[in-house]
Amino acid sequence: MKTVAEFSIRYRQIMGPDGSVVGPLPKFAEDVSCIVDMYRAMTLVRVFDTKAVNLQRTGLLGTYPSCLGHEAAHVGIGAAMRPEDVLAPVYREFGTQLWRGVSMTEILAYWGGDERGNDFAVPRQDFAWCVPIATQTLHAAGAAMAFKIRKEPRCALAYIGDGGTSEGAFYEALNLAGSRALPAVFVIVNNGWAISVPVAAQTAAQTLAQKAIAAGIPGVQVDGNDVLAVREVVGDALDAARRGEGPTLVEALTYRLSDHTTADDASRYRSAREVDAAWAIEPLIRIRRFLIDAGVWDAAKEALLLEECAAKVEAAVTGYLAAAKPSTDAMFDHLFAELPEHLHEQRLTARRYGSKHSGH
Amino acid sequence: MVEAIALAHGWEMQHDPDVVVIGQDVGANGGVFRATAGLQERFGSERVQDTPLAEATIAGMAVGMATHGLKPVAEIQFMGFLYPALDQIVNHMSRMRNRTRGRLSCPVVVRTPHGGGIHAPEHHSESTETMLCHIPGIRVLCPSSPVRAYGLLLAAIRDPDPVMFLEPVRLYRAMRQEVSDDGRALPLDVCFILREGSDVTIVTWGAMILETLRAVALLEERHISAEVIDVATLSPIDIGTILESVAKTGRLVIVHEAARNVGLGAEIAAQVAEHGLYDLQAPIQRVTGFDTVMPLFKLEHDYIPGVQRIIDAVELTFAD
Amino acid sequence: MSTFRLPDLGEGLAEAEIVEWHVKAGDHVHVDQPMVSVETAKAVVEVPAPFSGIVTALRAAPGDIVPTGAPLIDFDSGTVVGSMPATSEQEFVESVTVGRSRGRSGQPRGGAESRSRALPAARALAKRLGVDLAAIQTAGDSGVVTLDDVLRHANISAPPSPAAPPSAAARAIAAADPADGTVEPLRGVRRAMAQSMSMSRDQVAGSTVCDDADIHHWTVRADYMLRLMRAMICAWRAEPALNAWYDSASHSRILVAHIDLAIAVDTPGGLIVPVLRNIEKKSPGELREDIARQKEAAHRRSTQPEDLRDFTLMLSNFGTLAGRYGIPLVVPPAVAILGAGKVREDAVVVPGAGTGAGAAAATVQAHRRMPLSLSFDHRCITGGEACRFLAAVIADLEKPD
Repeated sequence: MKTVAEFSIRYRQIMGPDGSVVGPLPKFAEDVSCIVDMYRAMTLVRVFDTKAVNLQRTGLLGTYPSCLGHEAAHVGIGAAMRPEDVLAPVYREFGTQLWRGVSMTEILAYWGGDERGNDFAVPRQDFAWCVPIATQTLHAAGAAMAFKIRKEPRCALAYIGDGGTSEGAFYEALNLAGSRALPAVFVIVNNGWAISVPVAAQTAAQTLAQKAIAAGIPGVQVDGNDVLAVREVVGDALDAARRGEGPTLVEALTYRLSDHTTADDASRYRSAREVDAAWAIEPLIRIRRFLIDAGVWDAAKEALLLEECAAKVEAAVTGYLAAAKPSTDAMFDHLFAELPEHLHEQRLTARRYGSKHSGH
Repeated sequence: MVEAIALAHGWEMQHDPDVVVIGQDVGANGGVFRATAGLQERFGSERVQDTPLAEATIAGMAVGMATHGLKPVAEIQFMGFLYPALDQIVNHMSRMRNRTRGRLSCPVVVRTPHGGGIHAPEHHSESTETMLCHIPGIRVLCPSSPVRAYGLLLAAIRDPDPVMFLEPVRLYRAMRQEVSDDGRALPLDVCFILREGSDVTIVTWGAMILETLRAVALLEERHISAEVIDVATLSPIDIGTILESVAKTGRLVIVHEAARNVGLGAEIAAQVAEHGLYDLQAPIQRVTGFDTVMPLFKLEHDYIPGVQRIIDAVELTFAD
Repeated sequence: MSTFRLPDLGEGLAEAEIVEWHVKAGDHVHVDQPMVSVETAKAVVEVPAPFSGIVTALRAAPGDIVPTGAPLIDFDSGTVVGSMPATSEQEFVESVTVGRSRGRSGQPRGGAESRSRALPAARALAKRLGVDLAAIQTAGDSGVVTLDDVLRHANISAPPSPAAPPSAAARAIAAADPADGTVEPLRGVRRAMAQSMSMSRDQVAGSTVCDDADIHHWTVRADYMLRLMRAMICAWRAEPALNAWYDSASHSRILVAHIDLAIAVDTPGGLIVPVLRNIEKKSPGELREDIARQKEAAHRRSTQPEDLRDFTLMLSNFGTLAGRYGIPLVVPPAVAILGAGKVREDAVVVPGAGTGAGAAAATVQAHRRMPLSLSFDHRCITGGEACRFLAAVIADLEKPD
C-alpha cells in the first residue's frame, strides 16, 4: 500500500507558563505598547467577569457563563481581528467582544434578560451571542461567502468550544468554507470541558485541530493561555483568508477555570487538583511576568490598572442596574420590519396585562 | 417533579435491562436538572451514557438503538436545542413502523425540558409542542405533577412507539408530592380531571396548571365553579373527556403557554366546534402566549399568561 | 453539592459578620430568597440564595466573622441554568380522576341537569326574544333547537320549511277515513289559484269600495261585459292610478300606458283568468271576438301561458252567477280589480221634478241596477283615487248607450 495523504498538526507557543520566551517573537511584539494594551484588556475582562459572577450571586444578574481562564485566547483573537471583520461568538468570549467595542453594559443587559444587550452600539455587524451550539459556524461561513461575492476585503471569525466540535453544523461549516475557499477562520477554544463532559468523551481524535484535515483546510494548535501566540496564529490565519487562500482551523488550548455557568457546580465532576494545576498556568501570570521582565510593568502600574478597571466596571454596572425594564411593546417591536395588522390586538392585550415589575 | 422523573428511570432500568439513557451531561452530572441523578452509579456508563455534544447524534443513535433491541430514553437538554434532532424524529422515528409495515419500530422516549419562567438564558424557554403534535406516528406527553410525571414516564418507556416527553421546567421543583415508587404506569391517551366543576371547563397542560388553579380558586370566590382538565397526552388527544365536560358546563377556556397561532388550543377548539357546538353557551376562549418570540426573562412573565388573563377569559364566557 | 462562598458585597469589603440565618439545613430554597443577614463595616446586608436547591449545611454561625470568599453555605443546587421556583413547603394535594376513555367513575354533579342543546344562532335569538330554550319543542329528532323552532315558539311567521310541524288541516286530512272522501292533491289551475291567492293575502293591503250603477235608462239590452270594459276604459282615463304595477320591495309603481284586462272565467276545472290585451285600442267587435276566443280556450284548457300573465287590471263579472257585492282579491303586481254583481230590480228613490215650493214629491220606482265592488291595493292607491275611478265607471255605465 502506498501513502496517498498525510497530515501534521503543529503547535505554537511563544511564552512559557512562567512568562519566559520559548519561541521566536512575532513582528507585532516589537511594539511593546500593543502587548501592554492586550494585558490591560485581559485584566479588564477578568475584573468584569468576577463582578458579573458576583452580581449573579447577589441576585442582580441571570445565569452567567464566566470566561475565567480564557482571557489570553479571547483578547489575542480580538487583537488579531480588524474592525471591519465580523465575529461570530458563542457566549463566553467577552474579552474579544470588549476589544471590539461591545460594552460591558450590553453584556450585562443580555445576561440580565434584555434583548437590547444584543443591539451592539459599536460592532454593528458582529453576530449576537449564540446559544444553539455550533450554529454560529455556518453563519460565519455565510458571511464569508457574502464578502467573497461582494468583493469586500473582510473576514469572518467563528468561535466554537470543544464540545461544539461534535455538532454536525461544525463539520458542515468547515466543509463549506474549505470547498469554496471562503475568507473565514474557525477558532476552537478547547477548555477541556463541555459542562460535565471532558474532551476525551467527545471524540477519538488526538487533536481537535485535525478535524480540519477532513475538510481539506489547514489546522493548527496554539497555547490558548499565551496571548502572543494566539495573536500571531490567528493573525496569520486571517491574513491568509484575506489573501484568498481559504479558511484555517485554529485550536487554542486552555482551561475553564470557572463552572460552566453560575448555576453549574463543577466540583461534581472534576477534581480540585486538576483545577489547581490549571490555575498555576493561567494566562495573566505569564504576560504580567513578560511585561515586568521587559521593564514596562510594575506593582504601581498594576494597582493603578486594577483601580481603573474597577471604576470602569462599576460605571457599567450602575448603567445596567439603572436601565428601565423594557415595555411589553418590546416583544412586538422587532418581530417583523413592520408589525402585521393581526398582531396589533395582541400588542394591546400585552400592554393591558403588562406587569409593573420584572420577574414574578 | 424532577425527583419523580429520576425515580421512574430507576424503577424501569431496574426491571428492564433494555432501557438505556443517553444525552449530554446525564452521567456523572446526573443531568443539568438532576433528572438522571444517581443512575450512572447504579447502572454503569454503558447504560447511562454521555453522548458527544450533538442533538442529531442523540436522536439518530436512539433510532438505531431502538430498532435493534434497546429502549433508549434520550434527553435533549432543552427544547430550544431539539431542532437538529427533528430530522431524525420526523423522518425516521415517527415513521419507522409505518414504512417497514411493522417490521421495525422505535420504542424511544425523547425527554426535554419545556416552557419558560425560570429566568433562564435565551433559547432555554421554548414551548413548541404544537410542532410535535402535528407529526403523525409519535405521542406527545406533558405531565403536570410529580405523580403524573412518574406514572406517565413509565407508560412512555413501556410504550412500543416513540414518545416525546415534555417536562415543564417551572414545575420541576414547584410541587412537593408523595410519589409511590411502585412501578405503576398511568394510562396514555387520556385527560386527567384535576377538579370537578359545573360552570366552565378549563383545559390546560404543563406549568400553566399553576396559574389555572390559582385562577380557579379566585373564581370560586365569585361563585364560578370551574372544571379543570389536564390534557397530559397532547397527542393523540382525548377529546372525549373534554366534550363530556363541555356538555356539562357549556363553556370552554383553553390555557397554554405556547404561542396562539396554530397552537394546540386551536385544534381543541376546532374539535369541540365540530362535535360539541350545540352544548356551547358562549364562544370558546383561548388564553395563550403571544405570537412573538419568547422574550428574554425581563419580559417572560408578561409573555406567559397570568392569573388575571385566565379569570378575564372565564368572565368573558359569561358576558352577554 | 456545591459550596457557596461569601461574595464581595461591595467596595472590596474583606469580611462580614453573620447576623442571622433565614434558612436551615434541609430547607428547599429558591433563588433570591433571603438567605442570611450579614453585617459589614458599612451596613447590614441581605445575601440572597444564588440558586434553587436544598440547603445541606450552614458553614458559619451567627456571630462568626466570615472572610469574603470563605464558605458560607452548602447546597445541592441541581440546576445548570436559570432559577426555579422553590419547592413549596406544603404538600401539593390533588384529587384526580382519569378521563373518559378509561371509564370515569361518578356521575356529573347533580346541579348540572341536561342543558338545552341548540344551534348557537338559535341560542342567541332565543336570548334576544326572551324565550326559554328549555320550553321549546324541537321539530326534528336530534333534540337540537333550531332557528325555526325559536321563531315558531315566539309566534313569528317564517317561510314554510320542510321541518314545519303538520297543521291541524294536514292532520285532519291525514287522519281522514276513506268513507269521508278521497284525498285530492291540488294541481294545475287549482294549485295556481291557491298560490296566487296566498300571495295576494301575504302582500296586498286590500280595501274595497262598493256602489251601484243605475242602468234603468239603457236603451238596448247591452252586453254587460262590453259596457263594463268601456266604463273601465273611461275610468282609467279619468284616474289612471288604478291601471298600474306596484313593486313593494323597491317602493315603485308603473302607471301602465295601456290596459291589459284580466277577466275571470269560471270553468268546471277551476278559475282561469285570461288577459285581453290593449282593450283601449280595440273596437267592440274585436273585444267580443277576444272574449269569445279566450272563453273557449279556457273551457278547452288550452289557454296559452302568455295569455295568463302581465295584466294591468282585473274584472270579475261574478254577477252572472249570483252575488250582489263582493270583496274581490287584488293579484299583484296589479293594484285593482272590479267586481260586478248580479243585475236586479231595486227599489230606488227618484227625486221629483222641479225645486223649491213647487217641486213634485219623490217617488219610489223599480230600477235595474248593477252592484259594483272595487278592490284596490291601499299600499299605492288612495281612497280618493279608487272612488274617483268607481264614480267614473258608474257615470259611464249609467249612460243610456
